[in-house]
Amino acid sequence: MKIFKKEPDFNFMGKRFLAFALSGLIVVAGAIIFKTKGFNFGVDFTGGTLIEVSFKDYTHEKILREALKGVGLGESEIQRVGKKENKFFIKAVKTIKDIKKSEDTNYKSEETVRIQDLGEHEKVAEIIKLAFTSQKDRDTLKEGKLDINNTSENKIKNILIEKGISEEIATESSLKINGLKKGETGLINSFKDLEELKLKRRVMSILKNNTFLGSFTFLSTEIVGPKVGRDLRSKAILATFWALLGMLIYIALRFRFVYAFAAVITLFHDVLVILSFILFFNIELSLTVVAAILTLVGYSLNDTIVIFDRVRDNVKLMRREKTGIIINRSINQTLTRTIVTSGTTLLTVLALFFFGGEVIHTFSLTLLAGIIIGTYSSVFQSCAWLKVWEKYFIKRRKI
Amino acid sequence: MKRSMGWKVGLILAIIVFSVWMFYPPKDKINLGLDLKGGMHLILEVQTDEAIRIQTDQSVEQLKSSLKDDGIKFEKVKRTGIDKIEIIGTSFDNERMIKDILEDDFRDWKVAYSSDRIIVTLRPNVEMKMRDQSVDQALQTIRNRVDEFGVAEPVIQKEGLSGDRLLVQLPGIDDPARVKSLIKSTAMLEWKHVVAGSFPSKEDALKKYGGNLPDDLVILKEKGSKSCYVLRAASVVTGKDLKTARSSVDEYGAPAVGFSLNSRGARKFEKYTSKNIGQRCAIILDNRVLLAPSISTVISGDGIITGRYTSDEVNDMVLMLRSGALPAPMKYLEERTIGPSLGADSIRKGLYACITGLILVLIFMLIFYRGAGINSNVALILNIIILMGILSYFKATLTLPGIAGIILTIGMAVDANVLIFERIKEDIRSGKSPKSAIESGFKKAFLTIFDANLTTIIAAIFLYQFGTGPIKGFSVTLIIGIVASMFTAVFVSRVIFDLTYGKRKKLKKISI
Repeated sequence: MKIFKKEPDFNFMGKRFLAFALSGLIVVAGAIIFKTKGFNFGVDFTGGTLIEVSFKDYTHEKILREALKGVGLGESEIQRVGKKENKFFIKAVKTIKDIKKSEDTNYKSEETVRIQDLGEHEKVAEIIKLAFTSQKDRDTLKEGKLDINNTSENKIKNILIEKGISEEIATESSLKINGLKKGETGLINSFKDLEELKLKRRVMSILKNNTFLGSFTFLSTEIVGPKVGRDLRSKAILATFWALLGMLIYIALRFRFVYAFAAVITLFHDVLVILSFILFFNIELSLTVVAAILTLVGYSLNDTIVIFDRVRDNVKLMRREKTGIIINRSINQTLTRTIVTSGTTLLTVLALFFFGGEVIHTFSLTLLAGIIIGTYSSVFQSCAWLKVWEKYFIKRRKI
Repeated sequence: MKRSMGWKVGLILAIIVFSVWMFYPPKDKINLGLDLKGGMHLILEVQTDEAIRIQTDQSVEQLKSSLKDDGIKFEKVKRTGIDKIEIIGTSFDNERMIKDILEDDFRDWKVAYSSDRIIVTLRPNVEMKMRDQSVDQALQTIRNRVDEFGVAEPVIQKEGLSGDRLLVQLPGIDDPARVKSLIKSTAMLEWKHVVAGSFPSKEDALKKYGGNLPDDLVILKEKGSKSCYVLRAASVVTGKDLKTARSSVDEYGAPAVGFSLNSRGARKFEKYTSKNIGQRCAIILDNRVLLAPSISTVISGDGIITGRYTSDEVNDMVLMLRSGALPAPMKYLEERTIGPSLGADSIRKGLYACITGLILVLIFMLIFYRGAGINSNVALILNIIILMGILSYFKATLTLPGIAGIILTIGMAVDANVLIFERIKEDIRSGKSPKSAIESGFKKAFLTIFDANLTTIIAAIFLYQFGTGPIKGFSVTLIIGIVASMFTAVFVSRVIFDLTYGKRKKLKKISI
């Protein structure tokens, strides 16, 4: 199959000032958002607590917000995972010291005692857990019942053994019960689900009398100290810098300096445009997003080199022609390849975006934007910068 | 078939067999990261300053008793910095004797004399060594605890350049709170004399002393409540005097921690209890009073610590006391806990995305390049097989971003094929025979493929350098995928072309 009947002949170089203007506009818009709002840094970079919580029943964001307000964490970010699921990301940037300063905390004194023995860093997570625990569940906990949805296999086993079940059966039953929690919600919804496990009748009656099913569970907890956040930030900047430098040295060695110059401008262009995109859509800047940015840089350069390679060949073949024509010819010759490769890559990243799940959603979104930006920049930007350099710095020969 | 084709096909088959053998069955052979199988990732900082301070405090006590033993009078010996001790109020007549003491027992310390005091400072090289040792000791202690607790395949190692950070990764942890407290607890056990208590709060305790607590007393909270005790600061005995600890039961059969002191500790404890019958002595773990029983008889070597403990709590306490105290407290810098259900969900979704992406690309290539599309599809599937094989061979860890890396590789791997096919098409268009077009297409595209891929690899290498856990996984799969794609697209595809078209003498048209 062919995309173009014969070799295409688009005038890419003629559109270069339009492309400069477009990219310039995007970057300026990004800079304005940066000035006014700044980045939405994730806990990786700011430090803080990020929790993914899953509820048994339908829960509204407002209810969670109220609960968090009650413990002085009212300004935490609450974000529903997917549309139908009862899972949320809770991001709290406050530390326990900030909470103590504000007066509006109202969790009960006996519960603060339990928290007091925890390490400084994990207190915020524990307070969030307290805030989400309903009064009914709190009372049941006080009666000494065990919350199966928030306990370990070992504790379920222990309670069974304590009530006179043999170790062998207790181990087997607790393993089965815990296995039930490995579904998508991470929760057991009702005792009916437990009955389907076909446990021994005595085990079931012990469970009914001594345990209950709490209304939520934490699927994941990430706590990053402010020190680590700072470290990671500088590490991310350094990695980007060294990666750029490494790639440039390679190009300068394999090609001529003018190509390295054009490549570096293109890469900065890519980074600036993707950052503007991130700013515009308020994407949370996390470690994985930085990884996506670096991948974009690699991908875009890959694309650029394929075109440069052709330019280099054509400079030798078409000595008589003007640089602009050579470049245009090269881009057109490689155009089918550019379209096919970004097409297949886009297909897979789309699959990742739609089916890869919430955990890497921002990663795949950045990657998706990155591939489009990378393709655009290698066609419209990289070669245009070759021309710019030639115009000002190369007098007698061509690029 | 030419003879040279024989070894090429043999090599490809050998690589396929080797790769499949490496990663089959994937469930056992592929090493999943914490984000996929659930578990805990911790970064801890050993508070080495604290280790130095503790050492200096001990030296203060040692110095005091040495001076007393030699009958040297002094007003005060106190710690004035984390690594600095001052001896105040001795007369110059004693200088020689003090010098002797310092030279004999305090070789690690630098001594400076001034008009009214003697300043003793820890030598910088000794201090450095002590800091290193405290980190090593902390690492060892945590390893002991984790091993005794029984975690499969834990990672416990130093992290970063600062030298005082530890990375602890514990896969498949089901009870994070318990494990965390196990690792975090300094497990410093002390017995202290109770002066007064208990008080409902710290303020009430302070009130008794008019708001100003004397130097030799401390106020400590009781574990799990707000009430406080006023205690003598100097310990009667400490965990260092402990010979062993075991799980035991009290007189009602409830779980309790049994302990035995070594001979030195036993002597000290006997002497203390015989003088203080009727008084109370508190047992303190990590600056929290566990219990404060009154002394009814002289106690020497053995005892039990009771409380309303569950058997798990008793087991954990015994485990900690046995594995030894940490040389210094720890600070958590980073903690990531991923539940098993989230991990399982991520695998499901990642796999689904992978397969969908793969099928889409396979269909696309088939439609676009027809016969040659089959060729590149074979190369692509082979690429994934090799990728999995290398991943297993190097025991690399597959993370969720790692799966993303594989997905991205699927998209990018066909690039090499596309480059070659487009070159071939171009050459056919310009009038070359299919056979020589294949020949020149592979030749011309090779350098381009090489340059383009190498730059991506350079980016991925820096990503690996900078990455923590999951991101490392991404760059690893990306690098392996790209290398594998160069092999499959350049070498394998060529062999397939040669096999399909090589025999025909006159080749007029190829399907591309």
